[in-house]
Amino acid sequence: MIDPLQVSLKIAASGLQVQSKRLRVVSENLANAQSTGRTPGADPYTRKTISFETEVDRITGANFVRIDSIERDRAPYRIEHDPGHPAADENGFVKLPNVNILVEMADMREANRSYEANLQVIKQAREMISMTIDLLRNSS
Amino acid sequence: MIDPLSPTTGIGSSPGVLPMAPSLGVRNAARTPAAGSASADFGAVLGRMITDTADVLRTAEATSIMGVKGQASVQEVVESVLAAEQTLQAAIAIRDKVVAAYLELSRMAI
Repeated sequence: MIDPLQVSLKIAASGLQVQSKRLRVVSENLANAQSTGRTPGADPYTRKTISFETEVDRITGANFVRIDSIERDRAPYRIEHDPGHPAADENGFVKLPNVNILVEMADMREANRSYEANLQVIKQAREMISMTIDLLRNSS
Repeated sequence: MIDPLSPTTGIGSSPGVLPMAPSLGVRNAARTPAAGSASADFGAVLGRMITDTADVLRTAEATSIMGVKGQASVQEVVESVLAAEQTLQAAIAIRDKVVAAYLELSRMAI
């Protein structure tokens, strides 16, 4: 039994899942935007990136979405002169995370919008199912 | 054929019952006169439907409890509860329909 409406519900649910994982990555990046290393010259927190991929469901043949991978951003770290810092190297430079708050905020907003869109799909599909069931009810 | 309870069509061929309960259709072919078998089939159909619904409800309940414990995400909880709600609505609608058809039959003048 493959009810297309039920399948859309499932697909939208997979969308919700990946978008919430994306928000998790964003929150990690934001929270660690100031996390430095502990020892002199140590690397600070590295920004994480997330990518999605299509997953074909064997039973329904539908294209779900899933997390492809969560990787580290290879962009260079920011460097700041702060000789008193525990992570400062011999020249007094501290490596700061390669997190750009603006980029993270934009990413967060995008995750929010995608989540909303998927929620809207769920709402719509549920409404269509309910309307169909109501046919049974009103005619009696 | 248009009037489901017209005296000429008889009990067994009542279209009000048949489309919703395939097992009643089988009985129609056998055409046994016992009213008892009719109620048994009717009960079986309702029973199966209610068992299925109860299963979905139980799943929703289990997922909700897992959600409270923090083992299931909010999405999973909402998804399963909404699925249960929808299944229940469908089951109730079908039950109402079947019961209405059954009542129609019982009201038939003999």
